[in-house]
Parts: sequence; structure tokens; C-alpha cells
Amino acid sequence: MTLVYGIVWIVMAAFAVSAVAALVWAIQHGQMERFASAARSIFDEEEPVGRPTDAFPTSGLERRS
Amino acid sequence: MSELMPSAAEPQNEPPTRAEIDRSCRGPLLVFIASAVFWLVIGSLWAILAAVKMHTPGLLTSWEPLTFGRVRPVHLNMTIYGWASMSGIATLLWLQARLARTRLPLPNLLIAGGVVWNLALVAGLVEISLGHGTSVEWIEIPLFWALVFASVFAVVMASSLTMFARRKVAHVYVSQWYLFGAVLWFPFLYLMANTLIHTGLTRGVTAAATNWWFAHNVLGLWLTPIGLATIYYLIPKVIGAPIHSYHLSLLGFWSLALFYNWAGTHHLIGGPLPAWLVTVGIVGSLMMFVPVITVGINHHMTMVGHFRRLKDSPTLRFIVFSGMSYTAVSLQGSLTSLRSVNEVNHFTHYTIAHAHLGVYSFFSMAMFGALYYLLPRLTGREWASARLIKLHFWASAGGLALYWGPLTIGGWLQGLRMNNPDVPFLEIMTDTLPWLWGRTAAGTLMTLGHVVFAWLVVTMLRGSGGARPASFAAATSPIGEVKQ
Repeated sequence: MTLVYGIVWIVMAAFAVSAVAALVWAIQHGQMERFASAARSIFDEEEPVGRPTDAFPTSGLERRS
Repeated sequence: MSELMPSAAEPQNEPPTRAEIDRSCRGPLLVFIASAVFWLVIGSLWAILAAVKMHTPGLLTSWEPLTFGRVRPVHLNMTIYGWASMSGIATLLWLQARLARTRLPLPNLLIAGGVVWNLALVAGLVEISLGHGTSVEWIEIPLFWALVFASVFAVVMASSLTMFARRKVAHVYVSQWYLFGAVLWFPFLYLMANTLIHTGLTRGVTAAATNWWFAHNVLGLWLTPIGLATIYYLIPKVIGAPIHSYHLSLLGFWSLALFYNWAGTHHLIGGPLPAWLVTVGIVGSLMMFVPVITVGINHHMTMVGHFRRLKDSPTLRFIVFSGMSYTAVSLQGSLTSLRSVNEVNHFTHYTIAHAHLGVYSFFSMAMFGALYYLLPRLTGREWASARLIKLHFWASAGGLALYWGPLTIGGWLQGLRMNNPDVPFLEIMTDTLPWLWGRTAAGTLMTLGHVVFAWLVVTMLRGSGGARPASFAAATSPIGEVKQ
């Protein structure tokens, strides 16, 4: 039982430490800087800003009928 | 433009295109998605049965597995661990592959994981139906099968960390942070809660506190991060505009990470817990105003100027509905955690309405939106019918409104009257009947939407919608002029 208690406390401590470690890592590795370019990091030449990527289908059963 | 960074493992390689990444996800994700849709439909049937039994308790009571005490947890486990978790894992893996600009690793293990997850869920549901459930809400499935789920979490975690290690993009986008919250924290919570409760380490009050700390975190550290990661990726992607404020997005994530996992004990207001423990939960719940308001403002401001696209994009409809619901359900949840409010709504149908606003209106609608976006990209095929997608949306959105509104009002009235010792209990119960009939009607409407969605998924897998336009980006450029 003591062993299980120990494991529970260790895992919970690791849980908290992982959050703090992630925050420290983010700050040290420049993840909290250059927000304008960060927001655009999901866009590129293949799918640039300004191009929508989703629409209702125009083919399919309705067109056939 | 993306800031590409050299990878230690593949210094010479160009990052794969989105189409290549999507293709690499196909096998494993289709296993998870097809299973999720199956559980959605079956889970809805159990939901209707449970709803009907609330106003017609004599229905199907001669066979124990169909009695209310078993039907209701079977519905919950089918929808949470079947539909929500399996669609959530699929979306999480796809988002991470795209954000890291890398192919999905461990595809065969993930396929096996999807199969094992289904088998464990079937076994768990059979156990509950036979009366072997644990009676602990949200972890009714016995410990052995919970450990099997945990092993699948380990595979998902390994795949997720491998993608992060191989990432070709220097910046860690906000969605990725949310996904880490889900994939790195929740499995441990799941394992810990099961261990603490099922091994006898906690009993009575401490077991209840552990139970609700965990149950609220299924929303807080599993469904919410996946849902928000999806919204933060898909709104900008669909409309082709970056999010309004990246500052706010990061503030939203870190404040959620700080506050959400304190909130669970607000479920036990009025219970025999130390007052400070409940107060901690209330403070955590009220502090959730910070991430919720930042996320709400950010999503709204990103959409400003683009609302007309709701007409043209199936994904955007579901995702924006989901984002608005997140704000609504979270603000409602924070206010509900106040003792003065909770003394009315506790133990009433109001709480059930609130739970569905969270898991259905926020999370499930985000998953519908994500699946409408990613399935054509996984399969290279188009959806079979725009009309049916719209029918699905309006059945789900209308069903939810019909569900939440009446149950919230009916539940509140029920609470007010239960606090009045002059009103006989039986009279209060009888007076809730019209609201409960409303719930059955609403659930039926939502189920209709799910059947339509399942039909669309099946026809897509069979290829009835035809091939997706070769150059979809070009095909979508006149998005406002698409004729239906």
C-alpha cells in the first residue's frame, strides 16, 4: 500500500513539474516571442493566408440527380 | 510563412506536403473515426432509451441490462470513451502530424490500438450491462479494462512524442500546446483515478473527491484541450486568416493549465467534504473566466469579417457553433459553481443540460467540424451531399437547443421547488414530466442528425460522393459563389 501511495505522489509531482518544465522550455526556446509570425506558422506557400480551404461539396448525389 | 527548421534525423529531407501527411494518417485514423461514428449512433440509441425511461419508467424493465441504472452508464461510456475519445484521438493525431509537418509514426501500432480500444470498450459495456460496473461515475468500467485503455493511451502518447521530436516547424503552435495537455496529462489522471478508487486507497468522502476531480478533468484536460486545439487550427485554416491575437491564445492555454484541474470539487458542494476543499474547487472554477474570456474574444475577433463564410463551409459552421458553446458552457459552469446557485441546481435536470452543452454542443460539434474537414483529405473523396450535411447541422444544433433550453428551465424550477419544504416531492416529480418529454424529442432529433452523419461517412468510404477536386485550393477560391 505504501508503494502505491508513493507512486501516486510521484506521478502527481511529475504532473506538476511537467507543466512548469514546459513553460520554462517555451520561454527559453523563444516560443513566447514574435507572435505575429507565430500566428502565421500554419500557413505557407501551399496554403497561404487569404485562401479559404473548405466549402460544401458541389459534386456528389445532388448533381447526379 | 512557416519557419522550417532542420531536423537532426532527416537533414536532407524536405518536409512532406499536407497531402502526404494526410495520406500517412489514413489507415489508423479511419479505424478510429469509423469506430467513433459507430459508437455515436449506438450511444444515441441508449441515450433515447434512458431519456424515455425518465418519463415512462415501465419500458423494457423485465431484462436487467436494459434497466435505467445500467442503460444510463452504458450511454455515458459509449459516448465518452467510444465517440468522443476515439474521434478526439483521431483529430489529435491528425492535428499533430500537420502541426509538426511530419508523417504519422507507428501506424500499425495505432491501428492495433484502435482495435484493442474497441474490444476493451465492448468488454467494459458488457460488464456494466451485466451489473458488474463499479458505480463510480465516469469510471464505471472495471479496473482491468481501464488498464487496457491506458495501454492504448501509451501508444498514442508515443506517436505524439515521436511527431514532436521529428517536427519540421520551429514554432510550437497554440493547438500543439493544448494537444500536449490532453495527451500527456490525461492518461496519467485516468490511471491515477482508477488506481486510487479501485484499489481501495480512497474510500467514502475521499473516493468521491477523487471521483469528481477526475470526472471534471475528463472535460478539462481531455475533451476541452482537443476541442480548443481543433478550433484554433480550423477557424484560421478554413477562412484563410491567422488568429486575431496570439498573445491571448497563449494566455488562454497557460491559464487553463493552471486553473482547470482545481475545479472538480465544485460537484460536491453541500456534501460532507471539508469546506476548504470545496472552496478550492469554486475558486478554480471562477478563475476559469480568464481562459474562457480570452478564448472567446480571440475566436470572435478572428471571425469578424468572415461570418458570411458560415454559409459556404460545413466545417466552419460546426466549429464556430462549438466555439460559441465553449464560451457559454464555461461561463455557465463557473457561475453554477457558486454555492448560492448550486444549492438550487444541484441534483436537478439543469446539470444534465449543462453537461450536454459541454460534451455535445462544444466538443462533439468541434469533432463533427474536424471530421468534415479531414475525411475528404484522408480519403481523397468528396462528401456525397451538401443538403445532408446541412440537415445534420440543423438536427444537431436544433436538437441541442431543444435539449438545453427546456431542461435548464425545468431543472431550475425543479430545484427551487425542492428547496421549498411545503411542496410535496411527488408533485415536483410529476411537474418535470413535460420537460422530460421535451428531452426525448430533442434526443431523437440529435440522433437523426447522427444517423445522417453516419450515412454520409459510409457513403464517403464507399466513394459515392466521387473524387475530391484535384486542386481543391483552386476549387475553393470562388467560395462565395458555390451553388448548392
